[in-house]
Amino acid sequence: MSDSIRDRLSSPEDDGPAQPLTTAGFVQTDSRSAHGGAQVAPSTHATPATEGGDQGSHSGGRLRDDPQRAKAAERAVATLFLLSVVGVIGFVVSYIAAPFDFGKNGYQYYTPLLGIFMTLALTGVGAGAVLWAKTLMVDEETVQERHDLASDPADRASAAALLKSGAEASGLPRRSLLRNSLLLGAGSLAILPIPLVFGFAKFQHKERILSDTGWKAGARLLDELGRAVKLGDLEVGGVKSVFPDVPGGRRMADSAALLIRMEPDVLHTVPDRKDWVQDGHIVYSVICTHLGCPVKLYEAQTHHLFCPCHQSTFDAANGAKALFGPAARNLPQLAISVDSDGYFVAQGDFSEPVGPSFWERKPSYSDKVGK
Amino acid sequence: MSTLRTKASGYTVVVLALVLVGGLYTALAAPKGKADVGTNQSIAVKEGRQLYLQGCSTCHGLNNQGGAGGPSLVGVGASAVVFQVGSGRMPLANGASQAARKKAKYNRGEIDQLAAYVQSMGGGPVIPAGSLSDGDLALGGDLFRTNCSSCHNFAGAGGALTRSKYAPALKKADERTIYAAMQSGPENMPRFSDNQLTPDEKRAVTRYVRFITNDNKDPGGAALGHFGPIPEGLVIFLIGIGALILVTLWIGARA
Amino acid sequence: MATLVEKGASGTAVWVDDRLGSSNFVKRSLNKVFPDHWSFMLGEIALYSFIVLLLSGTYLTLFYEGSSREVIYNGSYIPLKGIPMSAAYASTLHISFDVRGGLIMRQIHHWAALLFMASIVVHLMRVFFTGAFRKPRELNWLIGVGLLILGIVEGFAGYSLPDDLLSGTGLRIAYSIALSIPVVGTWAAFLVFGGEYPGGAIIERLYPIHILLVPGIILGLITFHMMLIWFQKHTQFAGPGRTETNVVGSRIYPAYAAKAGGFFFLVFAVMAALGGLAQINPIWLYGPYDPSQVSAGSQPDWYVGFLDGSTRLMPNWELRTLGHTFSPNVLLPTQILPGVLFVLLMLYPFIEAKLTGDKGYHNLLDRPRDRPVRTGLGAMAISFYVILMIAGGNDIIASIFHLSINEITYTLRTALFLVPPLVFVLTKRVCLSLQHADDDLLHHGIESGTIRRLPSGEFIEETVALPSQYGVLLATTPERRELLARSEAEHAAAGAIASKPRGFFRAKGGVVVEEPTDQRQLEGTVD
Repeated sequence: MSDSIRDRLSSPEDDGPAQPLTTAGFVQTDSRSAHGGAQVAPSTHATPATEGGDQGSHSGGRLRDDPQRAKAAERAVATLFLLSVVGVIGFVVSYIAAPFDFGKNGYQYYTPLLGIFMTLALTGVGAGAVLWAKTLMVDEETVQERHDLASDPADRASAAALLKSGAEASGLPRRSLLRNSLLLGAGSLAILPIPLVFGFAKFQHKERILSDTGWKAGARLLDELGRAVKLGDLEVGGVKSVFPDVPGGRRMADSAALLIRMEPDVLHTVPDRKDWVQDGHIVYSVICTHLGCPVKLYEAQTHHLFCPCHQSTFDAANGAKALFGPAARNLPQLAISVDSDGYFVAQGDFSEPVGPSFWERKPSYSDKVGK
Repeated sequence: MSTLRTKASGYTVVVLALVLVGGLYTALAAPKGKADVGTNQSIAVKEGRQLYLQGCSTCHGLNNQGGAGGPSLVGVGASAVVFQVGSGRMPLANGASQAARKKAKYNRGEIDQLAAYVQSMGGGPVIPAGSLSDGDLALGGDLFRTNCSSCHNFAGAGGALTRSKYAPALKKADERTIYAAMQSGPENMPRFSDNQLTPDEKRAVTRYVRFITNDNKDPGGAALGHFGPIPEGLVIFLIGIGALILVTLWIGARA
Repeated sequence: MATLVEKGASGTAVWVDDRLGSSNFVKRSLNKVFPDHWSFMLGEIALYSFIVLLLSGTYLTLFYEGSSREVIYNGSYIPLKGIPMSAAYASTLHISFDVRGGLIMRQIHHWAALLFMASIVVHLMRVFFTGAFRKPRELNWLIGVGLLILGIVEGFAGYSLPDDLLSGTGLRIAYSIALSIPVVGTWAAFLVFGGEYPGGAIIERLYPIHILLVPGIILGLITFHMMLIWFQKHTQFAGPGRTETNVVGSRIYPAYAAKAGGFFFLVFAVMAALGGLAQINPIWLYGPYDPSQVSAGSQPDWYVGFLDGSTRLMPNWELRTLGHTFSPNVLLPTQILPGVLFVLLMLYPFIEAKLTGDKGYHNLLDRPRDRPVRTGLGAMAISFYVILMIAGGNDIIASIFHLSINEITYTLRTALFLVPPLVFVLTKRVCLSLQHADDDLLHHGIESGTIRRLPSGEFIEETVALPSQYGVLLATTPERRELLARSEAEHAAAGAIASKPRGFFRAKGGVVVEEPTDQRQLEGTVD
């Protein structure tokens, strides 16, 4: 059937008729093909066929011609197709009947079961189709001529002339007022979306917003569960995530800080920050000065803070100075004191903007920390 | 001559003070336990001291005061012993940047005796009696993500620290080890006092750690080590692209 | 029955043809010839995984809620019960634990996204190393690189939507990168995020970008990509009967179409297997995003890994002067580097054409060894990229092998500058020696397995001319064709015994020792 259709279809269209590749020596002519021997593909080195040569152009043909092997191939393809039915049935049954609810015995097999049956269903149809094509379909190697991509010069010229005459007919090149006002009018349309998009942008004092956090003078240091942290809660070598005692402080992205306690004698502070620490307790912003990840890996023995995102390392015993990695600046320090009830309170906001650098950030901030 | 004497008397004072403090602590702590704990405890301390002298004193000193090879154990508490000895990290193997988990050298009874001895020498945190993993799972998860996952990874698979140090994977740690680690802050791990994470909260964290490392049945298939997107990327190239290239070779082959 | 179907089919065909005149198009299309080579199917993987993405993604939109509104979780996953989280995260948990088949769809979607990107990269390498980007296909190259970039954007947006701890960390980094742009950084970051981080609008904005805008553009570009392949016809490797002006391969109908259709299902099957059996992005373990929490080993998906790596390797250069802060430590690895890399990638066809002065059409593909400089450059680029990828996983490597992360970083910093040039030189040399080996084969032919003894007592092995079906593959230049012709002539003149080659270029085994018979024959053989 395919031959007769191909017969009818093959006409000298722009793509040219597809021809079986019949170069002597490479391809045996498919006896069923209507175009056997019609066209010889050019080859500089065509030589008579050697037995071991490449004759794989239609191995399917030989199998097809052997009724027994063709039958076996057909059975293999059919088996694969039927595998899909098994897969689909398995999928539907597991979808309905397999344990699904979290914690139920065997629930962890639900998704793998669906996966296995889905794979089976898809593989059956997919592999079956490929195997069918490889074994039973007519698939001779065919030659088709490429057509030139570039148009011939005459066409090019006439297209250009057409464009030009159309433009002239519209009067655009001559009427400069029309042309210029059109350019202006259409060009101004480009401005239309600008307010729509940039309307999102608020005229805010970016530097002030980025410098302000939730911390303010007298704000207690709350832990992740909202309890105020007292002097003595931490042992030496202890750390605690702390948040400002202000509404929503727990979720403020710029306010998360880390309270660290170390031996008072290993804690070096610059002279004008002596009263920023309390009895070996020191608080740093956890927002990395590189790209803003929470720097919360604290090594109790080395006093290093380590960022899990890009490995910037800070020396918590020495003003959280940047020691390693892409971060250029120390982590900002929060001045703390202890109130009359023994709770830690902030002395105010951070003295410099927390987190990554930005254009408006004043260089003077960073000069405050010694060494 | 006189300096030697003052030194010696200095040591005596320190040791006496430590024994006193330790004794006081045990005396104060004892009422919390069962009635017969007192006598059992003193036997355990004795046995523990024997084990200590044989196995630990070379590095940690005859009286816990520390020595060339190891730190003082005064005040580290029973928890530290449970963690270090129970996880096989102590006795220490040579040459590691950090004490690695090994097969424990002592059995549970011996560890408890050692712990009792070290506890008697200056007090420190003790693992409470009773179940350690009956805490609130969701609370434990939240606390874990705030306090632990930054080093140990979201699923307790462990992570890198600076200069070849690492936060170990938590899969092999039993309840006592996890609890003891929070209390004692081994090596570079911060310590979490009971004021900071209450015993209830520690139990919640312990339960969550056990859940994600052992009780959690990954519902999506093979867990790929719980290392996040990197093993996923390897899988898509080695298995996904690999398998499909084999398929293209099969389809493309003219057998 | 069969006739009924046939009747129905032809009836429909007639109905359509009456209205559209489609027969002409159909007949030309079905007769289209496509060259066969396994490596031509790599791009198909990308196409099919995109279809899988559209299907699975549509399913996910039925349940996902793209909102950062805070809710208290009350679903089936007990370890998160009562935890406050965004509606986006809660709905992703809902898909994973409360929708039957939801988890497998999520996992298939994510695996297909990784495969989409992986197959684009592998396909790009095939196109690069075989020179398929040359005239007239530069436009399609540009579209392809555009698809690669859009794929990264689309993937990152999708990775961010569940609003879990890992992706939230990624978003914060993206915000910080925007912040680092000189002069307009704060404006850009605030514009995109709706204010200071987290801004409260980013999930809501990423959702339509991820499901409508970017996939729409990708779909359009893929269509255009395919139309150009169709119109310009596919390239082919050199081979018997293959020239610059023809296409040798299979007709699209029926065998090629059956194979391609079958391949789609097989790609889908691999996705289903991974989606069901390999857990990906377990957001329930990451937990909801909380700006104060983080996990060790936080990584982006693999296709962003090279940027993460470059960021990790970057020294901490920052300029604080004239009242402003300028951050090359962020700008260089995250914006300038990918900008330069992608521009170079886009321009490569034009740069190569300019440097080689080659303005001709190319429909026959190069063997990589025949273009040592291009192949060297490609290998160099790959090594650069791979080092950055390794750097992106330096913490995982350090953690698994207990190595020093500092040492790994220093080593990779050095390697990034030393290894690529070495790889270039090495690859070029390997290409050249492979070329020599080819020339040898063309010139001297292959060993016949026949050993002759010369009158002087010396033993030599006879060679035969390379069988022409292999010769055609190698003789890609006029000089080589001449070499092959000369070799054939010489061997014919020498009357060398043609033996049947077994395997690839290998002669039949077994050593035959023959006494020399004819002096002329010997002279012909020894050269």
